[in-house]
Amino acid sequence: MTAKKKTKSGVTRAVDTIVIASAVFLVAYIIYKVDTVMIYEWHWSFLWEYILRWDEEQQAYAPNLLLKGLATTFRLVIWSMLLASIIGIVMGIMRTSSRIFFRTVSRLYVEFIRNMPPVVFIFVFFFFISSQFVPLLGIDELSVNASPETIALLEILLGPPELFANVISGILCLALFEGAYITEIIRAGIQSIDKGQTEAGQSIGLTRFQTLRWVIFPQAVQKVIPPLTGQFITLIKDSSIVSLISIQELTFLAQEVAYSTQYVFEIWLFVAGVYFCICYSLALLFAKLEKRSQRIYQG
Amino acid sequence: MQLLKKVFVGAVTFLGIALAPFTATAGDLQQQLTSESVIETITKRGKMKVGMSTFVPWAMRDKQGELIGFEIDVAKKVAADLGVEIEFVPTAWSGIIPALIAGNFDVIIGGMSVTPKRNMTINFTAPYAHSGMGIVANKELAGDLAWPDGYNSSKVTFTCRRGATSCTDTQKLFPKAKLRQFDDSSLVLQEVVNGNAHAVLTSFPKPTLWQAQNADVLFNPTLEKLTEGNEGFGVRKGDPDALNVFSNWIMVNTSNGWLQERWNYWFTTMDWADQVNLKK
Repeated sequence: MTAKKKTKSGVTRAVDTIVIASAVFLVAYIIYKVDTVMIYEWHWSFLWEYILRWDEEQQAYAPNLLLKGLATTFRLVIWSMLLASIIGIVMGIMRTSSRIFFRTVSRLYVEFIRNMPPVVFIFVFFFFISSQFVPLLGIDELSVNASPETIALLEILLGPPELFANVISGILCLALFEGAYITEIIRAGIQSIDKGQTEAGQSIGLTRFQTLRWVIFPQAVQKVIPPLTGQFITLIKDSSIVSLISIQELTFLAQEVAYSTQYVFEIWLFVAGVYFCICYSLALLFAKLEKRSQRIYQG
Repeated sequence: MQLLKKVFVGAVTFLGIALAPFTATAGDLQQQLTSESVIETITKRGKMKVGMSTFVPWAMRDKQGELIGFEIDVAKKVAADLGVEIEFVPTAWSGIIPALIAGNFDVIIGGMSVTPKRNMTINFTAPYAHSGMGIVANKELAGDLAWPDGYNSSKVTFTCRRGATSCTDTQKLFPKAKLRQFDDSSLVLQEVVNGNAHAVLTSFPKPTLWQAQNADVLFNPTLEKLTEGNEGFGVRKGDPDALNVFSNWIMVNTSNGWLQERWNYWFTTMDWADQVNLKK
């Protein structure tokens, strides 16, 4: 057994070495090519000023466009993750409902969104739905009439008052879009649990809700964490698409800086790095959660 | 056909009679138009929302992250003259017309050229700016040429980007000169800097910008506009009050020279360059 394993790993190791060597060579070649063919003088130092600026009046450092954009991206992502999860759980349960009305509604929602490119959905949503619906919420009046305490609280949650409507459109848009995918993940999670479990729950007199809450969900949670991680990471990356409808998040403001300074390459590389850091840290966090939930499950 | 016509006439007559009580009198209509005008909205709100898009030096971000630029100055003065506050709504250029129609802001002050196609969907005021082509030339090669006649000679070479309006403009203005076309806009400039071509036409403020970036090799034979475009404010259709208020504001500020003075500052000088981390 052990001998067999050794020879196998020997071959794998040789293949691995070749693959890694060619990958390194390829990367080096591309860098060389970019360096020689593309005559471009790199300037990175200007970036700092657009992250943190020195405020003369306050005599202190203050966040500039890129940091402000990052804050908006965080707000956008956190709220839409929450909202998308709620939509996903409700719709996911409806998808597995025995009543045809619930099944049809959730099915329509999922199919409508899943079969549309994100960019198209965002435009349709923004110009036909959100621009009619968001003014009804009376956000503009609210930011004028509300007490300073409410405004301060809302500012932490949503950012600067003049952008409330803007951020809320972005959150609704992202949440509705990603909610459809989460619905499917939840549905698959619920359906992956053996039917016998539901029957067992019902046979001891649990209601449908109690069966879901105490029998199905604890088992399903474990199964949905890995696909959910992927979906949340997609959500973060998709949040950059709402820059198309002028939501003032990282990508949009980075674009503004790029147009203003003309340092296009530097800005985009920086933004790519920022998104990578956010997504990768989220992946690490969820990997930890996954391990913990496994430990709990196994006792 | 005959029947179809009868049905049509019948339907129109019926609609006319049915809707007669609902049609407004001239006075009502006037009142309705006034109360629905965006000017009324702006005054009530005490704030004017302006849609714009970043484009150097029309509107751009300074080192503090604040908006500066030609049309930022224009919009601020409009608001000040109307006695209201201002709010800028930075908008992606591709979606700026739908965003105006959807009501995200009151007016586009975004260096938008008046074109018949755009005019089908929104209304434009009188022009508040006239963008145009300018020229930048190589000091060594073209320094002694008389402007403009010296440039219209077979010994002079121009560059342009293939397919750009500058190509046709060059041919129109300097028909005798040679024209070399490139696919890349950075090459168009590079050839003049390297001394392989005498001069290049490009839209303002690039002539001054390029000259400033390569001050020891390039110069501007003239800072005049060689061709002219027309940029107006964009407003939603069916709003005569807004059109009148903004157009008259532009008329007043054209005749008192304010618009020209601001234009000169942003488009013919580089005095503002220190406020922006513009690429050198």
